[in-house]
Amino acid sequence: MLAISNLKKAFHHPDGGTVDILDVPAFDVAAGQQLALIGSSGSGKTTLLHVLAGILAADSGTLVYRLPGTGDAGVDFAALSEGQRDRFRGAHIGYVFQTHHLLPAFTALENVLLGMSFSGRKPDKPWAMHLLERVGLQDRLRYRPAKLSVGQQQRVAVARALANRCALLLADEPTGALDTRNAQEVIGLIQSLSTEIGATVLLVTHDLQIAARFARQVRLAEINRVGQEAAV
Amino acid sequence: MNIFALLFKQMRQRSLSTALTLLSVMLGVALAVAIMICQREGRAAFGQTDYGYNVLIGPKGSGLQLVMNTVYHIDVSQGNVPFEEYEALARRTGSLPKEFAPADATQPAAAPRSPYPGPVSWVVPYAVGDSYKGFRIVATMPILFGANPDGKPIVVPEGDARAASHIPEYRPGHRYTIAQGQPFAYNKFEAVIGSEVAAATGLKVGDKFQATHGMPKEGETPDIHDEIWTVVGVLDKTFTANDRVLFIPLMSFYSIWEHAEGLDAIADIASNTRPAPKPAATQEEEAKAYTLNPDGTINLKLPKDKWEISAILLKTPPTTQGQAIFVYKNRPDTMAVNPATVMAEFFDDILGSIVEMFRVMAGIVVVVAAVSILVSIYNSVAARNREVAILRALGATKTRILTLVCLEATFIGLMGGIAGLVAGHLAAAAASAYLAQWIGHGIAWWRAGWMELLYLGVVVLVSFAAGLVPAFKAFRTQVAANLVAE
Repeated sequence: MLAISNLKKAFHHPDGGTVDILDVPAFDVAAGQQLALIGSSGSGKTTLLHVLAGILAADSGTLVYRLPGTGDAGVDFAALSEGQRDRFRGAHIGYVFQTHHLLPAFTALENVLLGMSFSGRKPDKPWAMHLLERVGLQDRLRYRPAKLSVGQQQRVAVARALANRCALLLADEPTGALDTRNAQEVIGLIQSLSTEIGATVLLVTHDLQIAARFARQVRLAEINRVGQEAAV
Repeated sequence: MNIFALLFKQMRQRSLSTALTLLSVMLGVALAVAIMICQREGRAAFGQTDYGYNVLIGPKGSGLQLVMNTVYHIDVSQGNVPFEEYEALARRTGSLPKEFAPADATQPAAAPRSPYPGPVSWVVPYAVGDSYKGFRIVATMPILFGANPDGKPIVVPEGDARAASHIPEYRPGHRYTIAQGQPFAYNKFEAVIGSEVAAATGLKVGDKFQATHGMPKEGETPDIHDEIWTVVGVLDKTFTANDRVLFIPLMSFYSIWEHAEGLDAIADIASNTRPAPKPAATQEEEAKAYTLNPDGTINLKLPKDKWEISAILLKTPPTTQGQAIFVYKNRPDTMAVNPATVMAEFFDDILGSIVEMFRVMAGIVVVVAAVSILVSIYNSVAARNREVAILRALGATKTRILTLVCLEATFIGLMGGIAGLVAGHLAAAAASAYLAQWIGHGIAWWRAGWMELLYLGVVVLVSFAAGLVPAFKAFRTQVAANLVAE
């Protein structure tokens, strides 16, 4: 469902210098696959996820998504405009951040509903409530993030990421701020809920124990020519 | 969750800041709207052209002061004109008491002749200078209330338009009507009071009162005249300044010793004779001003050639109104104006520049309100970079974010504007109540004009424009940079 070819990304500093971050000659992810991408801090994991989500534009290369409705050729995501990428992301991609990034003024339920607000679909409150029930927060629907524990906040974030019934779930160190028990629970929820909706999962982590729970594990250094010496 | 739900959530999140911005817009718009209403409705109330009379005659001076003093019973009288100016006009309407006829009927030339030769529908004298509990006293003739000199109502035969045209009106088609009692007789210490005077002072038919000399300011010791008037009539409400007036007979006004003394002195000055120094008044001297007949009628000592009045209300056919004004304007001691013209000039010339200044203020208010919105939302957007980035990460396009911020600014402008519109009308209602207390009638504060709606539209548009600045800041938010580290 995802095919990368010669994808490059560099950051340009105001002083004129350039730092290469990504140079991925080829990388594929099959539909429904659950994959852990392993990399150390500063290896470009987050940048890769941002490019895959369209939050950042690639400098060159192709990034093709083959999803139901996009035909055999799929969509060259890297060639889309920023607005098109935003709409594609809203409709097909879910994102779990290292920290929950919930909106503080919104309740748990409203945060999950927000996850489907930009998908182009009608708001589906029962589905949002179902997701919150699945993450064990059926009695915390009206709670604002400040009233939830860190683990509960991250579980709401997982529910929000899946609210648009995404085809691809991107998770950027989603357990980084959690203790071991909560981390295991959150990973379990990501895996089981993604399976329930048939979403492909691409999770980046530096934690080998977490990575070990995924069927496919790839070291970023294997696919990214930049900074291969820093590979774990 | 639609964009409006998102909008309200964002606003609720910073309810204090939103409320304060709304308040600043509301106060600004309220000020501007109140000014607009007072200007528009004030003009409608005071710039009216439907006075019951078309010529006001008074001493040389300010036409506006003459109108204010005579029509609205505010400001001070600017002097007097000889009673014979009125007498000459009144003689032609037959409304004068028979005692005023020349002593020798074979010598009609002895009677004063009016310089204005045209037809006279009716004419009424006003003499002012006293008050009762803050309400002005106006000395006049019973004809003002459609009565003969003895206070008996004039019966107009049905269909006799000519006879009807000789009965004074305070507005076209509106004559004074007595709610209780009857009009006063021209030569008794009687009074007819306005409806508001009755309500405020509790005076009713049969009650007695004493007049205060002038209109003493708060803290001043009032000089109360010895004479006692009896209320014989209470007027129906006219919704004019006359509701706040006590009307007394002109002759009773001249009976007050201080008035007679004053008129005497003025007459001396007018005739260029040096007034002789006079000792303080004694009871005997005061008693000289009049004697009372057994039937209560006044036997006035002050000779008629010393009688003076403050103003003359004259109704002429429209075709000769200009002639009347011209004639009295060109006499050495009098002037004449059309009250409607004076008020229209007042609003156009004098108030015009003030209103212009207020309009500029209203414009500044819009800019201040817009800046307030801009600062408030700009600060909020600056503090919400991460939230904007999260919304973008969830799929919100830049245009959606821009719309959201602009909508917030527009909404604050609209809500603040509507609240300001309501508050402005309430402020105008307060001004109206104050005005009604002052001159007897207020303004139509509830009426909304197209200018207010246009102003509201401008406020909303400017608010939208003010929202564009923070909106573009939000538009340019770096998503990735704001999502990475806490």
